[in-house]
Amino acid sequence: MFSIRPLVAAFCLSALAPLAMAGGSHGSHGDEATPNIGQPGVAAQATRTVSITLYDNYYEVDALDVKAGETLHFELKNEGALLHEFNIGTAPMHKNHQREMRKMVASGMMTETGMVEMDHSNMPGMEDMKHDDPNSILLAPGESGELTWTFSGDAELEFACNMPGHYQAGMVGEFSSN
Amino acid sequence: MTAKKTACASALLLGATLALSVSPLASAEMKDDAIMTKFMLDRFEVRHQDGDDLLSWEAQINTRTDYQGLAFKTSGERLRNGPTESAEYQLLYQRLVSEFFDAQFGIRYDNQPGPSRTYAVAGLQGLAPYWFEVDANLFLSDQGDASARIEAEYDLLLTQRLVLQPAAEITVAFSDDEEIGVGSGLSKAEIGVRLRYEISRKLAPYVGINWEKSFGDTADFARAEGEDTEVGSVVIGVSAWF
Amino acid sequence: MRFSMIQGLILAIASLGPIGAMAGSYDLVIDEQIVNITGKDKKAMTINGQFPGPTLHFREGEDVTINVTNRLDVDSSLHWHGLLLPYQMDGVPGLSFDGIKPGETFSYQFPVKQSGTYWYHSHSGFQEQEGVFGPIVIEAAKREPFKVDREYVVMLSDWSDETGEQIFSNLKAQSDYYNYSQQTVGDFFDDVKASGWGAAFKDRLSWGSMRMMPTDIADVSGYSFLMNGKAPQSNWTALFEKGERIRLRFINGSAMSYFDVRIPGLEMTLVQSDGNNVQPVTVDEFRIAVAETYDVIVRPREDKAFTILAESVARTGYARGTLAPREGMAAEVPELRERPLLTMSDMSMASMGGMDHSNMAGMEGMDHSNMAGMADMKGMDHSNMAGMADMKGMDHSKMPGMENMEGMDHSKMAGMAGMEGMDHSKMMMGASSANSDYAPGSGLAPEAANGGKFLVYADLKAQVPFANYREPDREIELRLTGNMERYFWSINGIKYSDAEPVHLKLGERVRIKFINDTMMMHPMHLHGMWMQLDKGNGRFNPLKHTVNVAPNTTLTVDVPVDALGQWAFHCHLMYHMAAGMFRKVIVEEAVVETAAQ
Repeated sequence: MFSIRPLVAAFCLSALAPLAMAGGSHGSHGDEATPNIGQPGVAAQATRTVSITLYDNYYEVDALDVKAGETLHFELKNEGALLHEFNIGTAPMHKNHQREMRKMVASGMMTETGMVEMDHSNMPGMEDMKHDDPNSILLAPGESGELTWTFSGDAELEFACNMPGHYQAGMVGEFSSN
Repeated sequence: MTAKKTACASALLLGATLALSVSPLASAEMKDDAIMTKFMLDRFEVRHQDGDDLLSWEAQINTRTDYQGLAFKTSGERLRNGPTESAEYQLLYQRLVSEFFDAQFGIRYDNQPGPSRTYAVAGLQGLAPYWFEVDANLFLSDQGDASARIEAEYDLLLTQRLVLQPAAEITVAFSDDEEIGVGSGLSKAEIGVRLRYEISRKLAPYVGINWEKSFGDTADFARAEGEDTEVGSVVIGVSAWF
Repeated sequence: MRFSMIQGLILAIASLGPIGAMAGSYDLVIDEQIVNITGKDKKAMTINGQFPGPTLHFREGEDVTINVTNRLDVDSSLHWHGLLLPYQMDGVPGLSFDGIKPGETFSYQFPVKQSGTYWYHSHSGFQEQEGVFGPIVIEAAKREPFKVDREYVVMLSDWSDETGEQIFSNLKAQSDYYNYSQQTVGDFFDDVKASGWGAAFKDRLSWGSMRMMPTDIADVSGYSFLMNGKAPQSNWTALFEKGERIRLRFINGSAMSYFDVRIPGLEMTLVQSDGNNVQPVTVDEFRIAVAETYDVIVRPREDKAFTILAESVARTGYARGTLAPREGMAAEVPELRERPLLTMSDMSMASMGGMDHSNMAGMEGMDHSNMAGMADMKGMDHSNMAGMADMKGMDHSKMPGMENMEGMDHSKMAGMAGMEGMDHSKMMMGASSANSDYAPGSGLAPEAANGGKFLVYADLKAQVPFANYREPDREIELRLTGNMERYFWSINGIKYSDAEPVHLKLGERVRIKFINDTMMMHPMHLHGMWMQLDKGNGRFNPLKHTVNVAPNTTLTVDVPVDALGQWAFHCHLMYHMAAGMFRKVIVEEAVVETAAQ
């Protein structure tokens, strides 16, 4: 059967979207210029720590207030039986990312509960999958993780799970800037 | 008269069988072995031909479950102003022997001008490959004469309701029965084409042509009787079932 | 409808009590009334004056009492489709109880042990088709794994101005009675024009030799297709505010009709199947077999109307409704798509005659062994995966064995059997050129109207893995069989009235292997226990009460045998069931051998 590798935040899934997100650099795939969604932060400088539990298939909270320039440290725990993601982005970014995730699952690289052990580097066209993705973390069932993010306040952001269907089923929350 | 009596007797017999075989099971929830009765008037037509017009019929009643039951068949011809030229009645036990065919066994009684005949019948009726409706029978008369008859029909759909139906019937006798005008060998062939319009599945008026010919000794016997050996007709009629 | 809907509503509300009341007690009255659904007055059977019956709202964990009064002049019954309950409460006359006599009341009492979308219907005669059916919505005890702002039941049904008795006797008398799509002489010449004399003639000969019709998709036509009891022109409407997530609980309460369901302009995220949560899967269209239920979530982000369209699979009509921000709106209703034609691939070898089934032994291996191979990506030729980042660009012909897909060469069947084990949906990324639920080359395999994703069974994965998942203790093979011409249907060639019951032991896990030897789809329904549909998702195999078995295919389900008693197991096409495609299942206590010594 599958061998599931414990996941850490370092593993990145999105082949396309994250290139644009990190550090505000711009990708070529978006319909419009990618908005400035902020950047990875340093945990020690966080103004707040927010704990969010991930369930099947929803977040314990579905709205969070953030201020422009604020750095949040997220402590995340997946209490569900399925693989879930915590990904900070705009709705269109999530949509793109979902397309990627669907392919990953469809190709067998990922199952509902975790990643399949395989050496992607040998696969032509798969190299992108190795990129780091600081705005997102994937958590296997029972796994915990952390993510620190400095919000720019320039974009309407959502935190979402882009595992196929999860976003549509309601595994998405809003960052509001009030 | 005799014809009527036979018909009555057959009907009674059918009725009795029906009454006997009605399932005593009260849990009529599942109808998968119910007895069904279907009355089919395959042809009821006027044949316009030289001389007097002819009324011709062919009908069948099935009372059966999926696997077995009874069949009553009748066919015949009657001149418009009388008399009945021929009338045939069969009462058969039938049993499904393949996906598409029933084997049938029973008796046939012919009542016609001249002496009547009773036959033992063994046959197959059903749907042959390529959609031919087939009724094939062997007969053995009370005089010890054997004969065989095969009928086949094919439906050609011009539209969903307008159907052209070629049909053929061939009778072969294995010995002479001069009393009833049957000679050994290919005795009779009938070919027809009917165009029906299905007002509903259950009711379809039609028009068509029909051609009948007798052969060999049978033809000779007919000629001796002063009858035609070959008759062509234009037919108009109706088929129905319920 | 002639009878007052308001009156019906009041009755229903009065009898159902406040929705959400604990330990519920419900009173239902089965009666007859004149209704006018198609412009023609016709007697229908109603429940509490409603057609279809009122939606029953239960709560997971409550004990319900349902008093059902029969005001018909024949026996009646209600069966709670998909509910897990003591078999005496299952409502099948002759198996669970004696039925409800005219004028009498039967009290059903059972604990509600599950949640989700279900339905109920009469299990007597053909009453279901004439109106004795309705939805059941069971509120979950725990938070559900999805989030919605509002929800609607969308109950599909087929309505005939003929009675069930008439339809059944017509089918018995002439099995193609309702097929007004038969191939004509004109069609033949069209085929000649398209593919030449030789091909056209050969086609007619191959069908003719079997005495089968490629247009034989559904046995009964002349139906009007209804959505929540409303004909298409009545336009049943569900309201929403843009941006909301709306849960639509689709139930196919038809007697005989499958539907292909879509909402042009909206993707649907399927979250429940047969009342059980599944991992959300987003699709553009899905096929709902008779008696199945599917819950989907849609999220219209525009302030406009959307058509909910459910085309009958034989394309003889559609049920239609509208999702709209305000009453009185309508969106475009797309034209019916072309009627499918069966192909030789839909013909089982059994129906072709003379084929030795032992040749099909290779099919046995298709479940797990092949899956393992698939999961093991190393076994795949990586060089062919270059296009992975862009699946659309992928050349399917490069996939091992794929080239067989096109062919109908039966000599290749062994190889094709292996294909079943491969999950095509995973390979093809929504490309609809293959559908793992149908025989390769089948004429029935659906494609999404917009070219997008069409749900396949392999997409259905349980939300929660099954705790006691294990290899089955034994396997029972059930061949779905029938005599099309004489219109009787059977299992392993034997009709219900001639068959021995299927005996199961409490606690065992039985694999049922359906082999469809007919050219029709059969929605197989097991009462009282779940079937775990095995499309290779292992412990995530979804729980279903009804599974569609496509022509000339094999489908396996595992049944965790956990309910004592006598249960019905049958094809849910009403006239197939009535004609014999039915088994009694008896579940007994397992006798412990050591105890006997």
